Amino acid sequence: MSGDFVLPSYLDQSDAVSERFARISQRPVKLEVQGLGKTFQSTDGELNALKDINFKVHRREFVSVIGPSGCGKSTLIRILAGLDHPTAGRFLLEGKEVHGPGPDRGMVFQSYTLFPWLTVKKNVMFGLEVGGRSGTMVESEAMQWIDLVGLGRFANAYPSQLSGGMKQRVAIARALANQPQILFMDEPFGALDAQTRSQMQAYLLQIWRNVDVTIMFVTHDLDEAIYLSDRILVLKAHPGEVQEFIEVSVPRPRVPDQFISPEFLATKKRLEELIHPKRSAVAEELPVIRMTSVEDTVD
Amino acid sequence: MSDTRTAPRPWFSIRKELGQRRRLILTAASFLMPVAVWMLVSYCPFIWHPDVKLQFSADRENVTTVFSAGDHVSKEYFPQFLADVRAENTAVLKGREDGSGESGSRYRRANQKLMRQMAPVAVANGWLTYDQAADDVSIYKVWKGVADGTLKPNGITLSSENLAIVRRNWALMSALSPEFDARKLPEVPLEKLVPQGVPANPVYLPAPHEVIEQGYKDFTKVTDPDKPTMGQRFKQSVYIILAGFFLSCLIGIPLGVMCGTFDFFSKLFEPFVDFFRYMPAPVFSTLLVAVFLAHDAPKIALVFVGTFFQMVLIVANTTRQLDVSLLEAAQTLGAKHFTLIRRVILPGITPNLYNDLRILLGWSWTWLVIAELIGVKSGLTEFIETQGRWRNFESVYPVIILIGITGFTTDQILSAMRRYFFPWTPEASEKKRGPIGRFFHWLLDTSVYDKPLKGKTSR
Repeated sequence: MSGDFVLPSYLDQSDAVSERFARISQRPVKLEVQGLGKTFQSTDGELNALKDINFKVHRREFVSVIGPSGCGKSTLIRILAGLDHPTAGRFLLEGKEVHGPGPDRGMVFQSYTLFPWLTVKKNVMFGLEVGGRSGTMVESEAMQWIDLVGLGRFANAYPSQLSGGMKQRVAIARALANQPQILFMDEPFGALDAQTRSQMQAYLLQIWRNVDVTIMFVTHDLDEAIYLSDRILVLKAHPGEVQEFIEVSVPRPRVPDQFISPEFLATKKRLEELIHPKRSAVAEELPVIRMTSVEDTVD
Repeated sequence: MSDTRTAPRPWFSIRKELGQRRRLILTAASFLMPVAVWMLVSYCPFIWHPDVKLQFSADRENVTTVFSAGDHVSKEYFPQFLADVRAENTAVLKGREDGSGESGSRYRRANQKLMRQMAPVAVANGWLTYDQAADDVSIYKVWKGVADGTLKPNGITLSSENLAIVRRNWALMSALSPEFDARKLPEVPLEKLVPQGVPANPVYLPAPHEVIEQGYKDFTKVTDPDKPTMGQRFKQSVYIILAGFFLSCLIGIPLGVMCGTFDFFSKLFEPFVDFFRYMPAPVFSTLLVAVFLAHDAPKIALVFVGTFFQMVLIVANTTRQLDVSLLEAAQTLGAKHFTLIRRVILPGITPNLYNDLRILLGWSWTWLVIAELIGVKSGLTEFIETQGRWRNFESVYPVIILIGITGFTTDQILSAMRRYFFPWTPEASEKKRGPIGRFFHWLLDTSVYDKPLKGKTSR
């Protein structure tokens, strides 16, 4: 950054923000991860995907997980959702150790994973029904969640008739309908186009404000992580370890204008330093022969 | 729909679909082309026709091979055949002229037999019915009629050579008696009619009209009250297929799903199943007859053996292809064990399973044909076998075509019904429909499915 303009430190917090973090830390701990590790056995030997991960997430907190590709952020989320087994350590949900997948931990995948043979309404009712409930109560409850994500008109449509963004909203409604303790989201907006993506981010913030839910959100998009989260868990690769757990100093409520606020940029700068330590604008000079006339320059 | 465009689209464009009408034309052509080739070969005498079909024949001295009317001889051999008969005639005439020829009552009997050469000609020309042609009195009259020209040809025209022979023979015959009398036949040898024939294709390629006529006869008339009618044969064949296939599904689908779901069952069953399917089902035919004895049981068992092992592997594979993230999503929603199978795996695989079964059903027709030949032969195949052995190929083709049509129609109907069974598949929302598809669209109310995107509130 050049000129007179000096970016504040990402650690600087306004009073309102630091008070908020103080309040959050007073809330009960939802998820506690203790010394979690994951080692894959491959033909070349052992691959240390995750090593000694420790952190806590409080109730109604929005935590993002970012890191360079291959840092094991998806593996971490999958372990916490019970879809993979850790090779070391353990994690506690509301103080109790859990194993395997369960309705107490919801999950939204990048690939939508809606059941194509069920209508939107039936998809949302799925979790309630396998939970042993049935009847009109379940149906009206499902409709409430569908309305919450603004898809009431499409309750009887099949997933194949919906756009990507709509599918992901159904997936969120489906996960929330179970009223999980914590909601894991694994790059949920990764497959969407930029416009739909920012729309979905706004939707998600709205939902999060109105619903009692704790969210852990995996992404590789730094803007997305800052815009959405209270805190950002930064992992590093080989082995996947916690580099830093950053408190985002951008005040809430968040609006898209904040993308160019000093706090936002400071946090982003820090994240970039952590994720791409030796960053150069052009990786290497390409051996390109000039194939246009000298006068015909693009600059 | 594509025809509204001003610039005509080319018939040949790489990997572009043709319009509805053009598709229809080409589909029709794909069926008409083989039929056209068949007709061309059958009805153009100068194309192929390697045989001569005898209109009437002649016995030869000291030759055991006897041809009769309707038999095929090769084009190459036919002149030799004629030359042999002519040589005999020349010898007869020579003997008659120089008086060296023998005579006696044995020639009277030989001449009575020779007279009957005229029988197929008389029947083909409509001069006599089939029954009358066995009666020497009637045949004698035909010789008279042909010789004095009162009987006009109406089918087989005798060559001038043969007409001359008829007149010479009749001169000898009429001199003794104007009516048939077995004791008043010439006692000198008569000349034989020289065989005549028309170009023909081999017996295994009857002409379309012969096949259609014979097919109509076989499918409508009961020729032998002891034998099942074609309808009964068809029903029996379909019953064997369906019974074998149903049993196969009954065990094969659950086993396949279990193998595809649990690695335990996959490793426990699949290696043996994989090994077993390399043993072709027909090799078990004698074994199956020994175990299940007569009637339909061994046949059903053969169709079962033929489809079951393939089915287990295919269903297991289809089950494994189900997107695993759907299972993971269901698990994070609280589904476990049996609920996962019932609420995710089964509904998830049914559309592909449906396709698998459609293809397997097509295969089971192959096993049917073999199944019907084991033990006591039965059904459509028994008919094909018997008629084929008698070289009645015009009877064989209609049955083969019937099997083809049955298989094809079943498959088309099942394929068209798929979108109504599985309205949620992406293919179902495409609006391309064939005639059968339109029928089912009309038959089944899919408005529930169509509505939401048309902007109506569903609540």
